[in-house]
Amino acid sequence: MTAAAGAVGLQGGLAARRALRNSRLRALGFGAFAVLAAYLASRTFGVGAAFSFWVDKQGGQTATLTTTVGAMWVVAAVATALVTVLQLRRADLRWRPWLLVAIAPWIAALLGTLLAGKPAVVTNVFAGSLELAAPISMAAMAGILSERSGMLNIALEGKMLIGACVASIVGSIVSLATGNAVLATVIAILAAMIVAALLGLLLAWLGIRYKVDQVIAGTVINIGAVGITNFIFLRILSRATEFNSPPPVQAVRIPLLADIPVLGPIFFVATPYVYVAYLMVAVLTYMIYRTRWGLRLRAAGEKPAAAGTVGINVLRIRYRALFMAGLICGLAGSYLSLATSSSFQLQMTAGKGFIGLAAMIFGGWHPVGAFFAALVFGFADATQSLLSILGVDVAPQILQSIPYVVTIIVVAGVVGRVRGPASAGQPYEQG
Amino acid sequence: MKRISAALRRLVVPLLAVLTALILGGVVIALTDFDNLHNIGTDPIGTLVGAVKGVFAAYGAMLSGAFGDPGRVLTALQTGNSTDIARAIRPLTETLVSTTPLLFCGLAVSISFRAGMFNIGGDGQLLIGALAATVLTIALNGVLPSWLILIAAIGIATLAGAAWGFVPGFLKARTGAHEVITTIMLNYIGSLVVFFVLTTQPWLRNPGNSTPVSKLLTTITDVPKLISLPTIRLDYGFVVALLMAVAVSWLLFRTTKGFELRASGFSPTAARYAGISAGGSMMLAMALSGGLCGMAGGFLVIGTVGQMSPDLSGGLGFNAIALALLAGLRPSGVILSALLFGALTQGGKLMGIDTGIPVDLLLFIMALVIMFVAAPGLIRSIWRVRVTDPAPEIASVSTDSAGTL
Repeated sequence: MTAAAGAVGLQGGLAARRALRNSRLRALGFGAFAVLAAYLASRTFGVGAAFSFWVDKQGGQTATLTTTVGAMWVVAAVATALVTVLQLRRADLRWRPWLLVAIAPWIAALLGTLLAGKPAVVTNVFAGSLELAAPISMAAMAGILSERSGMLNIALEGKMLIGACVASIVGSIVSLATGNAVLATVIAILAAMIVAALLGLLLAWLGIRYKVDQVIAGTVINIGAVGITNFIFLRILSRATEFNSPPPVQAVRIPLLADIPVLGPIFFVATPYVYVAYLMVAVLTYMIYRTRWGLRLRAAGEKPAAAGTVGINVLRIRYRALFMAGLICGLAGSYLSLATSSSFQLQMTAGKGFIGLAAMIFGGWHPVGAFFAALVFGFADATQSLLSILGVDVAPQILQSIPYVVTIIVVAGVVGRVRGPASAGQPYEQG
Repeated sequence: MKRISAALRRLVVPLLAVLTALILGGVVIALTDFDNLHNIGTDPIGTLVGAVKGVFAAYGAMLSGAFGDPGRVLTALQTGNSTDIARAIRPLTETLVSTTPLLFCGLAVSISFRAGMFNIGGDGQLLIGALAATVLTIALNGVLPSWLILIAAIGIATLAGAAWGFVPGFLKARTGAHEVITTIMLNYIGSLVVFFVLTTQPWLRNPGNSTPVSKLLTTITDVPKLISLPTIRLDYGFVVALLMAVAVSWLLFRTTKGFELRASGFSPTAARYAGISAGGSMMLAMALSGGLCGMAGGFLVIGTVGQMSPDLSGGLGFNAIALALLAGLRPSGVILSALLFGALTQGGKLMGIDTGIPVDLLLFIMALVIMFVAAPGLIRSIWRVRVTDPAPEIASVSTDSAGTL
């Protein structure tokens, strides 16, 4: 019996006793996982694990980290045991951040077990995580902008889908007409952004002017986007493929920085979208927390009546926020059709907009947090493609379902309850 | 008299919503008809006429696809030749075949919406229900008599769908996770589960197919047909769907549980003060809703479609939202709008074959229908009519203070 538990025992309140019991149950659970990891370690000492990094450039020299899967499980077991001990010592441990300490080596060890000695290039996974996180992060930023202003934005998915479709068609047409790939890409992206922004305005208009429930209004856009893009794809694009072959957006090497060993190929060889995603996080963080506009935005989402009383035009703020969110969604959508497959495919967003919403919640409605949450989803995607490329014997459907399952867990708040803007979703009557 | 005129006035918004959506759908058809449009510089009037003709051709094909030719039905009935009769009434019965799953899913959306839950996971619930029915049917082949297999399969489909629907209800009640996100995610997971089961379990697979589709279930057990004529697929699933409409209506408006559901949907806070467990209502409503979708899946996979495949649902869950809102969430209205949507779906298939216009246009039209029904003010300003709100007694699905979105 530790000192902390004794103190709790003295107070003896019902809530305190319940907290103590929950804490012990948690510790028991963590302990079980630690034992499991130790058991797995004892079984896998013979299995080698080789992770290699590209030192100079893509496909160039590699530096290889060789260890055994058993050693990785030992690390996981030790980390989990550490969390168990901490939980036992303190009933009021803030265990969620500590859990991450245990989860990271678990994931690495699981990966090592699945690979079972097959050499894997980890640079691909990390660079791929950043790349795949870009559209999710952007969707999350769009969600943050909308919800901070007090509007729920379920329609991220639909706006991205339309953006992807528009970008592909416009890119193909401009490229056919002028033959200039850069010009075609720029115009394609702008077109996607504008169309998605107009949809954002439609959402705002339905929600504000007609007081349509914001979730229903978002669903209208999501369903409509699936309908119209399927229709356009099947009626036009599948037959006239020249309208669905925009110039691809390639990875850009940042001079000098890309030459940094190991880190260069991970961080500084990427499509421009990734750099824009970084920039967006920085700019939005500054704008939301350090400018007058940001203060007003947050006021509109937290307590619109108070904001209105001091003369802030809440509705204009909401219209603008949804317009900007639309621009961002269009950009994120254009990534899918221009940078990943260089064509538009049926329902190619595959839930990325909703995953972006989950990243927003996971990140506590803060751009930096949401970016890191998006990285987690990007990592899941990149790992999945690594495993399928290496031909690891796991059903692809199980791997593909991971982001969706994680999204449910995040939204259910198992990872930690967070609070969103107080007035998101409630219509506001401006006097 | 007063009641009739009130009922008629309630019909104004839905009818105008569908009409407006169809007109806008026509605009989309005309705008994507490039064979016609590329003459616009030389012959603008001819192009305009051509566009209107194209739209009428498309919707005309839809109409005859949905209802067939009444004159032909009469002559066929006079001759009494069964193949002729079957051929003449087939469009009509196929419309009812399309109506059946829409009716189930529309009721499902209505019941959850009444309790303040926006169930957009009908597709996933339907797929999981159908998958459960498939597995059970093939597993019990030869073990039980076929009529017993039928009952067991429909039962397990309902239960599986209910379980799949219960999850978002439980998460919302316990953690505040918004059902719109969780149900959509469960749709993706559900279709991955179907893929997984069909690709990893060879005993379920149809030997001739390389794509993941199951064996033909209709050779093991079959839902009895309503009309025994060749090629007519209409079966008792339709009757069960109608009975379900009555049951849902009775549950919602004649029982205490139904009152609790509606009270929780109308105002969770007020319901809580009245001693009603709003969380319990959420879970119950979502389980019932999922069960109805699962039942739809069972009747599809055993009856009219006859085999399991990952694209069995084909957006039924989304269409169901449109039709439930169109119906003002009333079971009687759901029957009418399911008939309408069944006709649109069935007609849309023929439109696709005849004119090459993809059926997916309907999904776009459905989205517009939802928009116009949800914003009656739009209809008012477009058509300059006085209208009443078709569904005034439902709470918002996005302003629950407990929600995380």
